[in-house]
Amino acid sequence: MAVILPAPAESRKEATRNGLFASRRLGRWGRWLLVLAMTVWFLAPLLPLALWFFAERWSFPGILPQEWGTGAVQEALAQGAVPAFGRSLGVALAVMAVATPMGLLAARAFAFHRPHGAGFLSALVFAPLALPPFAAAFGLNVLFLRLHLPPMFGIVLVLAVYALPYTTFTLRVAYGAYECGFEDEARMLGASRWRVLSRVHLPLLAPALMRAAFLAFLVGWSDYVVTLLVGGGTLVTVPLLVASAAAGTGNDAMLSVLSVTAVLPPLVLLLGAAIHTRRRLGVRS
Amino acid sequence: MGNRKATLLVLPATVISFFVVVGGLLAALMQSLGLLPFAGPPTLNSSAYLTVAPDLPSAVALSFGIAAASTLIAVIFGFVTAMLVMRGRFGGRLIAMVSTWSIPFPHLVGAASMGLLLGDAGFLARIFGTDSWPELVGGPAWIAVIAAYSWKESAFVALVVTGVLLTRATAYDETAALLGAGRLRRLRHVLVPLSLPALGVSATIVFVYVFGSYEVAWLLGRPYPEPLPVMALRLFSSASLSSRPEAAALAVVTTIVALGAAGLAALALRRVPLWQ
Repeated sequence: MAVILPAPAESRKEATRNGLFASRRLGRWGRWLLVLAMTVWFLAPLLPLALWFFAERWSFPGILPQEWGTGAVQEALAQGAVPAFGRSLGVALAVMAVATPMGLLAARAFAFHRPHGAGFLSALVFAPLALPPFAAAFGLNVLFLRLHLPPMFGIVLVLAVYALPYTTFTLRVAYGAYECGFEDEARMLGASRWRVLSRVHLPLLAPALMRAAFLAFLVGWSDYVVTLLVGGGTLVTVPLLVASAAAGTGNDAMLSVLSVTAVLPPLVLLLGAAIHTRRRLGVRS
Repeated sequence: MGNRKATLLVLPATVISFFVVVGGLLAALMQSLGLLPFAGPPTLNSSAYLTVAPDLPSAVALSFGIAAASTLIAVIFGFVTAMLVMRGRFGGRLIAMVSTWSIPFPHLVGAASMGLLLGDAGFLARIFGTDSWPELVGGPAWIAVIAAYSWKESAFVALVVTGVLLTRATAYDETAALLGAGRLRRLRHVLVPLSLPALGVSATIVFVYVFGSYEVAWLLGRPYPEPLPVMALRLFSSASLSSRPEAAALAVVTTIVALGAAGLAALALRRVPLWQ
């Protein structure tokens, strides 16, 4: 039996299509069962959320809402969903604007130079991964009060530090695969430093930069504990509204409207990035 | 020269990290030792630690149990998800898409959704009948809390493991298949060893995160016994002035356990072959 070795670059898809991984009947059934189970696992919590969103009245034993409608949207608006959305967006964008460039600079230093005390410095940048946010917020709450810093400033500062491990790591990996030769060549052809940065360096890193910025946005957008403790409850963001709705009883419809509000912006960013990547790849191939 | 430039590059990130990490922890430590009182002169004492000491064993054990159970389920489900994604075809693409859904969910919103699903007037209770619905939310086994964490974190584990496997495992897996290795042998000798470092790192991140996280256990848990962060936040926001140092003492204990777990995991990961 002649076996043709696949070229190293041949994609996994190809191997699947030509039957290298063809499964026996039992394995196929088992796999479909697993696919079904994992689909249910990931989608189950979304179902009641979607049903409650459109429920006008859904009293207990009913499996489906008795009356459909969007009255809960009005309720959520009355709770101040729109200004809270604006504040959340402000916090998330500010965290992104601070943590992405700082992560970029740190990643470049770790990748190409050896700063003094590199071990200590990277331990410092990655420490927030192992540091419970509420513990840092307890201490900083006192410091910020004594320094008379505005709450928004403190919240963004703490969350940016919590986003830094993600942005630094993402960009550090990207620099690992980065080809410095392009930069040298552009310099040799007479491009200025600024032109090299804007036409070579940043475009090459664009996918990783987008991923890092998304993660930083997510850290700022999803936070509850730091906003609550450092802000002292003065800065009401969407998660704070979700928490107060979830802690009460009997407003499940409004809770689901607020929850969907809290999921939508990062979801839109994620889908946008996926479509953008697909289009870029489509143009190339 | 290169060194000075490198130091300048890392400076912004490390300065704010230093301020938040070291400054925050030192302030919490001083607060717990009575050195940063709201009123009156600072006095060094350990009364905050002595006050919380009787409740500490149960709180630490509970937090540890919730974090361990959530991590275990997240790692198993995340690994299964990654394997299905690696298989490609329709099922793999479906799972890849579906598991991405939980990434943009804030933990709090994931917890709220779990409450609507598992609560005693929740969606599942409506489907399966009302009389004998077990106490999943606020029950003695903390099932809704563990479900909410493992639901969200299994997608995270899957994302990390798939990222590593897609770049590194494909060639090995195809070679093993060509040499006649069956499904189970490829799993045991190729896919599991190649995913171990990614599984270890993501499990550590998940464990430490869940151990120090507040909102899910607060929303879906029961009032007593309390996990460490829930007890700490209750004391922090309570009206009496003496409770602030006690809350800070709990924060210090939580931090020590979390950092200890992360350190142990780092030591264990060094022993895993294939660790870059």
